[in-house]
Amino acid sequence: MALTGCTAGGERQEVIVTGSTTLLPITEVSGEMYTESHDGIAILVSGMGSSAGIESVSKGSSDIGTSSRELKDAELELGLEDTPVAYDAIAVIVHPDNPVSDLSTLEVRSIFAGVITNWSEVGGPDLPIGLVNRDEASGTREAFSKIIMDDAQFDRGAVVLPGTGQVRSVIADVQGAIGYISLGFVTDDVKAVAIDGVEPSEATVVSGAYPVQRVLHFFTKEDLSDIARDYIAYVLSPEVQDTIVRDAGFIPITAKEAVGD
Amino acid sequence: MTEPEQAGSERVNGGLKMMSRATYVREALLKNLFLLCAIVAVAAVALIFVFTIARGWEVVKDPGLAAFLGGAEWSSTLGRFGILPLVAGTLAITLGSLVLGAPLAIGTAIFLSEIASPRMRSIVRPAVEMLAGVPSVVYGFFGLVILRPIVAEITGGMGFGTLTASVILAVMIVPTIATLTEDALGSVPSGIREASYAMGATTWQTIYKVLLPAAKIGIIDATILGMGRAIGETMAVVMVAGNAPQFFKGLGAPIATLTSQIVIDMSYATGTHKTALFGLAIILFLISMGLVALVRALSRLNEKKA
Amino acid sequence: MGKRWTNRIALGVLWLCGLTTVVVLGAVIVYVFVRGIGQITPEFIFTAPHGVNAEGGIGPTIVATIYVTGLAMLIVTPIAVLAAVYLAEYAVQGRLVNIIRFAADTLASVPSIVMGLFGFALFYEAMGLGFSVLSGALALSFLMLPIVMRATEEAIRAVPRFIRWGSYGLGASKWQTVSKIVLPSAMPRILTGLILAMGRAVGETAVVIFTMGQAIYTPISPLDPGRSMTVHLYTLAMEGINMDAAYGTALLLMVMILLFNVSARWLAARNRRLKG
Repeated sequence: MALTGCTAGGERQEVIVTGSTTLLPITEVSGEMYTESHDGIAILVSGMGSSAGIESVSKGSSDIGTSSRELKDAELELGLEDTPVAYDAIAVIVHPDNPVSDLSTLEVRSIFAGVITNWSEVGGPDLPIGLVNRDEASGTREAFSKIIMDDAQFDRGAVVLPGTGQVRSVIADVQGAIGYISLGFVTDDVKAVAIDGVEPSEATVVSGAYPVQRVLHFFTKEDLSDIARDYIAYVLSPEVQDTIVRDAGFIPITAKEAVGD
Repeated sequence: MTEPEQAGSERVNGGLKMMSRATYVREALLKNLFLLCAIVAVAAVALIFVFTIARGWEVVKDPGLAAFLGGAEWSSTLGRFGILPLVAGTLAITLGSLVLGAPLAIGTAIFLSEIASPRMRSIVRPAVEMLAGVPSVVYGFFGLVILRPIVAEITGGMGFGTLTASVILAVMIVPTIATLTEDALGSVPSGIREASYAMGATTWQTIYKVLLPAAKIGIIDATILGMGRAIGETMAVVMVAGNAPQFFKGLGAPIATLTSQIVIDMSYATGTHKTALFGLAIILFLISMGLVALVRALSRLNEKKA
Repeated sequence: MGKRWTNRIALGVLWLCGLTTVVVLGAVIVYVFVRGIGQITPEFIFTAPHGVNAEGGIGPTIVATIYVTGLAMLIVTPIAVLAAVYLAEYAVQGRLVNIIRFAADTLASVPSIVMGLFGFALFYEAMGLGFSVLSGALALSFLMLPIVMRATEEAIRAVPRFIRWGSYGLGASKWQTVSKIVLPSAMPRILTGLILAMGRAVGETAVVIFTMGQAIYTPISPLDPGRSMTVHLYTLAMEGINMDAAYGTALLLMVMILLFNVSARWLAARNRRLKG
């Protein structure tokens, strides 16, 4: 029954979705629900990082490449179709006991560049700052780097963790630590700080006031199978957008249209 | 060692004359089939080597051999692929794990071979063997949830880095070193031991002055193979090392190794970057082959001396 | 006096070494057991993970793990056993045998990440097998080959020589002797080696992550992708989405490996008893 990797002739029974780990909550859960209501169809979801997703869809080994960043210049030539599926804010998080609750973009940049190394320099206690960074495969890192770092280099001494959850649990555990994760993953264990005085929330993302936000994408090729097309339509339907997307802490792609953006 | 098989083959050669032609042909075919299977091992090694080289050799063009082997920076965003920080990281945690793990392993081996009662031995030896069987992700997981917070307390950092990785690796290399050291101690003729005790030496004097020198080469072999295990270990290291490709900045500071960098980068690497990762694999392959060659050379030296 | 004390202290330290090893193993096992046992329910073992936090079970990862290990076993056993037969029964010491042994030793010491990259380059990229159980099994068979080969060779060498003489004396050919006499008596030890190699394969991560992929899927055809239990544990631990499931997965992994170990020991012990 399985025809993995076999594109010549015959209808595919599988939709292979590869890419960003940020999108996993959306793709895995919607894939599951889609499979339940469609017999004989499997949605195979792998979280390998945004770049891997884009590469894999352009090479034809996946039907859908998910990405939490925009295409790079070199990738624009691949001729991929872009379907935005949700908005996401990236929250800068610290230990809940950290009194610092507001940082300017410049301060965040200086912290992650390793220029500011103690919390006392930004109005906090005399405590060394522990930097937690994401791996370079991460679309979250890419987006954060573009919006906050303005292409300044990250401090190379930062701890690099390949997963969102680990970033959160380390920061929940270490007093002086700072990191950044998707707003959807922020829990009470950590504190999201305001950037330039704006708290990250659905309202501030939709209004555009919160600066560190991005669009989550599905990238596909033109010769997309009907099943994959149908699955994407399902992801864009209110059924997924208002439940799964919102439950995962993301902001529905339809939200901005609603306020007339 | 070679005695039994030689005796065996003579016998067959003698017997073959009485065999029918069909039997002879079948026997010869089978022998060649077995030989073919044995050569699969050689072919496998060659295949690995050829494929990793085929995918990685272009590092000599871009970024260039000097920049690859001598570069002090590994950053895919900047397009710099210098392996020195990774080599330094591998060295640091290998050294750390040997300092912690080798004495423990050798001590355990001496305990098993010279001191433990049969009852104790029946507890400790299976424990050593099972330590070898614990999957490396489980070690990594253990390091992440238990050891990391403790190290964070001690060093004041976040607990990712050289110290945590070294402790986890130390535990992982204990079985390798202990098992092989025990073998080496076991092959010391018992007459030497008895002579030492007969001269009034204590157990420790016998161990220290007689057994350890006699088993020296074997213990060195064991340590080298343990080292190989530490250099090649991947998943446990990725989970606790902090993965920052920087030079050693203290026991609590994050660090990256040849192996951990491959796992971190592999999912998104393209072009030169991917080539560079296969370049790392070539280096790891050469290191492990070199260590095996070293061990074999040492053993041969030992046999000649004996 | 000094001599006595030195002796006592030194022996004390050696005792401590032996005990430390046991305590470390005990700590890992007890910790994983205590944190994981609450997770182990039929639902956890048989159902698939679902939802944002990977709730539910890990069924597909267990299937994928057993599938890929079993397939690797099928691929590697005939080759490794026959290679060992050659080395133990037919080969005459010489250059070729030396090269074969060096290759086997090297194969045994190649870091698993190198094996994973190689598997990716050969089976995924060059042969186009994709992320599949077959790619994973082929890559794993490289890892298992030297282990099974060595165990089998030792097992064959341990069969007493006089048993063979009897067979030759009755006019049996070499292959008849090997297949009817030598291999059956070496069988328990060969099985022990096979079981240990399977334990290695079950616990392997770096090899399968780049060859079998990470999709949570119950593989049916060998060309289907899958996520092994080790990869699942790695993902859960690093994503930190469901630590309870991570403990449960770690416990099940440990139980599987312990079962492999214990059955290998039991086989070896039974074999000794029968002989003794």
